[in-house]
Amino acid sequence: MKGKGSIVGRWIVAILALGALGAVFIGMLIDNMPKGTPQKVEGYTPWEKETIALVSTLPVQDGGRIKPLSTYAGFTMLGLHGARSMKVEGEGGGTFKIKPTEWMMDTLFRPDLAVDLPTFRVDNSKVLEAIGVEPKGRRDRYSYNEIEPGYDELIMLAKSYQPIAKKERDPVQQQTIDLAYNIRHYESLLGYFGFARSGIVLRGSGGGTEPDKRADLSAVMTTAPQLRAEIARTQREGGQIDDRMQDLLQQVVEGANFSKFSIFALPPKSATEEDWLSAGNAIMGVMTLESKDPETAIDDIKYLETAVRSVALGEKEFRKHFAEFKERIDSRTESRGELKYVAMETSYFKSDYFLNALVCFLLGTLFALAMWGVGQSKVGKILYWITFAFTAGGGAICLWAIVERCIIMQRPPVGNLYDTVIFIATTGVIIALLMEWMTRRGFSLGLAPILGTALIYLARRYELGDASDHMNPLVAVLDSNFWLSTHVTTITLGYCAGLLAANLSCGYILMRGLNLDGNNKGLRRALTKAVYGCICLTVFLSLVGTVLGGIWANYSWGRFWGWDPKENGALMIVLWTLAILHARLGGIIKEWGLHICSVLTACVVAFSWWHVNFLGIGLHNYGFTADKKFMIFIYYGAMLVFVGIALIAMLVEWVDKRSVKMTNDARDAKALEA
Amino acid sequence: MANDSQKTTGKKEKSFLRKIYDFLSGFHLATITFLLLLLLTWLATLEQIDNGLYPTLNKYFSWRSPWLIPDMVPEINGKKLPFYLPGGYYVCAVLLLNMILGGIVRIRKGWKQAGNLISHFGIVFMLIGGGVAHHFSERGNMAVYEGESSNTAEAYNEWVVEVAEVKDEAYEEVHVIRGEWLTDLKAGNPRIFDFKGIPFSLEISGYLVNAIPANQLEAPPRNKELVADGYYLQEAKGNVESERNLAGSYARVIFEGGEKSAPFILSGASFYPFTVRDGDRVFTVDMRKRLWPMPFEVKLDTFTADFHPGTSRPAKFISDIRRVENGQESKVRIQMNEPMRYEGYTFFQASYGPAGAGPGDTMYSVFEIVRNPADHWPEYSLYIVAFGMLVTFLTKLGGHLSASSRKSKNEG
Repeated sequence: MKGKGSIVGRWIVAILALGALGAVFIGMLIDNMPKGTPQKVEGYTPWEKETIALVSTLPVQDGGRIKPLSTYAGFTMLGLHGARSMKVEGEGGGTFKIKPTEWMMDTLFRPDLAVDLPTFRVDNSKVLEAIGVEPKGRRDRYSYNEIEPGYDELIMLAKSYQPIAKKERDPVQQQTIDLAYNIRHYESLLGYFGFARSGIVLRGSGGGTEPDKRADLSAVMTTAPQLRAEIARTQREGGQIDDRMQDLLQQVVEGANFSKFSIFALPPKSATEEDWLSAGNAIMGVMTLESKDPETAIDDIKYLETAVRSVALGEKEFRKHFAEFKERIDSRTESRGELKYVAMETSYFKSDYFLNALVCFLLGTLFALAMWGVGQSKVGKILYWITFAFTAGGGAICLWAIVERCIIMQRPPVGNLYDTVIFIATTGVIIALLMEWMTRRGFSLGLAPILGTALIYLARRYELGDASDHMNPLVAVLDSNFWLSTHVTTITLGYCAGLLAANLSCGYILMRGLNLDGNNKGLRRALTKAVYGCICLTVFLSLVGTVLGGIWANYSWGRFWGWDPKENGALMIVLWTLAILHARLGGIIKEWGLHICSVLTACVVAFSWWHVNFLGIGLHNYGFTADKKFMIFIYYGAMLVFVGIALIAMLVEWVDKRSVKMTNDARDAKALEA
Repeated sequence: MANDSQKTTGKKEKSFLRKIYDFLSGFHLATITFLLLLLLTWLATLEQIDNGLYPTLNKYFSWRSPWLIPDMVPEINGKKLPFYLPGGYYVCAVLLLNMILGGIVRIRKGWKQAGNLISHFGIVFMLIGGGVAHHFSERGNMAVYEGESSNTAEAYNEWVVEVAEVKDEAYEEVHVIRGEWLTDLKAGNPRIFDFKGIPFSLEISGYLVNAIPANQLEAPPRNKELVADGYYLQEAKGNVESERNLAGSYARVIFEGGEKSAPFILSGASFYPFTVRDGDRVFTVDMRKRLWPMPFEVKLDTFTADFHPGTSRPAKFISDIRRVENGQESKVRIQMNEPMRYEGYTFFQASYGPAGAGPGDTMYSVFEIVRNPADHWPEYSLYIVAFGMLVTFLTKLGGHLSASSRKSKNEG
């Protein structure tokens, strides 16, 4: 029996869906737009594209792996600024958009301009009030120079909050500590090339009448053996080290200290040495005569000095000298076999695959809504194929991005929470498209871009909030490609199947509850079958994944089951879905019951996938802050709303059936009487 | 009446036993047990945050715990509402029975059900494996410094009482009272232990999972605790990491004439054992974690901790050991994900120390040692379950696809 369906219901769903779509779209735009009002930076000129391209591919060692400077810059900027771009008003009143590599170049090579860039995001104005800096607005950005007047107070407050256990700190205390850490980190970048810019002042070299001469630090490094010998001789003879030499050494140590952290861009020549050096490490290694290869270190510093000083001579000159330095580094990196994926990674981040996929999914969702609205007609068919094209396109982009990530990371696709989100988005879309191929009802096709949009949006938000490089290597116990590719992938696919079942059931509840399908029983049956199939798949994947996890744990720690919350979460998915299947087979639940249980599967999956990470215990604890916890409860609430709608709809149907039955009985009784 | 009823309904009235059988082998019971296990797992996951893993597992899944009241149940007048849940061990036992009766015996036998039958068999095997591991597996740890050797493991949570005679400054045969005989001993509820060749008995009572001996002058007892020689056992909240607990109990020596000594404290926190003299003979009574002799010796040659370059993120922990048995030496490498399995024992790389050690310092390595007769059973059961589920999945998928193609042919 097919009817036209409830017009009011369709309008309600269409408005809700468009509202949600609009919210995601606006969120996406906000995330990708520079934050705050453009700050005025006197004399600011943008870097040329060629220069940016050259600097962005400089290999550096960070987080235990080799990556391009652009990646390091991207995550550093995200951590400090809370976004990957900023806008400034520069020379001639022009407004310039600054991206991570340019921001890093300003910080390293033009610190006099960088101190005015709006680098620091401060969420809570109370943090600034406490250090005597006038706040601008909520979640606004501040430059180093703007925070500098409250610097001492900030450091003092941060030190006083440090002893408080992390769990017990209030948001202002935590943000004060974070800001202090960020300022210190930024200072280490601002002063990184200080040694190259200022050189070493040779006290007394001017003879009192002329200003003192300056020497390159690299030149001082060449005299390290003589300096050490002189110090040793003086110590042997029990004398005092000459004041001028003392001053010179002091300057060397200060210069080295500023460039000791943050950027490790000098690869050792020997392939057996794993640790790359920062400029400061190289300087101190030579000066303490501990360096295994002082010649290379001195030359590296010399090249850096030339490149840094050439900034003042113009960008062309800088590019030339920086290219010379980079060539040295590239050739050494290549000979170590570590340059293979640097270019690929630069292009990976530049391509911003997941943003493009999100746009595809958003458009796919829009066309899917139109497809459902139009129904089966010629226009409907056209919309069907447009939806398919955008969805498949988005899925293909995600798949390509994941493949590139695997190549760069040299490990299977899932190793941390961020990986799970993009993996579930991609596989969810693929499975939904396969289901569409099997059912041809347009339902799974429509749900695929919705799922893709929601999850890719979640992944982007998570990356923004976390601000850490999720391609960094894993800790020892997780570093097993076999188990990562079997256990982790299977469990994640189980989450995906469970969420897909829940999404289909949400659709079913809206469709049947609001009578959007005009009582199309064939469509309902097909959906129920699809949900049942997804639940079977969830049982299969979750059970196999859980037991594989147990076997891994048995190999690693000698216990099949460690009662880690994440393991328990996976087991809960298995138990819940097994309960659903057995309840269905036993006739305890029927069609409505299956869909209600399927929606609740989303809560069990959400508990296992996200919620256990907030518990603060176990191997899979990612250390989230409690303030993000409420999002998970919003999700539970949303799922319960669907359950509520289903229960109300069940009740309405039951009342309708009962009144029809009573009418029929009365009519039959009348007929009998007649 | 019964006959009339049979004629009208065409169904035979089931016997009581048949009804019980149907219930025990039915989907309803299976569904209930899955839901109960789900609830227990969820509650145990939440409770371990505050109470620690070991006590939570004992509360929810030990065979000693037939029922329980979850912590989240509210209290009225200081008493928990009587919201009882069955213990996980017994729910698993019911599930096992249900699985055997329903999933293996009662299930319809045919090609279509072959996958389900295989899967059920695998789950039954897994549950039995879980039971065997629960009752018969042992766990402990062994810490060895580089260049040194050990042939003893220490249990994580089992506190025992050791009684031994000291002769020529060495211990004679050590008599051990296992933890299972101690943990149920409440204050005023003593148990007496006799030992072969030892001229006295030991009366032990008031076992506490975590307690420290406190001086009654510095911290007077608040709950009428027994004071022994100026000290009493001050109970402390159990540590979340239960292996950090220090157990304690009270004891008295009962000599052969029936004479009882004054009570004394046995505590895991004590540095020295309690000494008992009987004529010229000297004995020690001590409470400590159970020591567990290995049939071979482990000598640690080197320990290496590798970190990802430029970070403090661990990349590899490697212990190069020599296993010495009957004078024969074998070189073995133990590292993360690559344990040593030998003679029923498995040695895992667990941790290392000392904290903050620098280059050139002598390191020690800590191995987790497990003896589990059902070590590989879960793995075998996984193969069976996965195979069974795959068969079911493919059978269903095939059925669905052929039905779809039949339908589209008919429509065509």
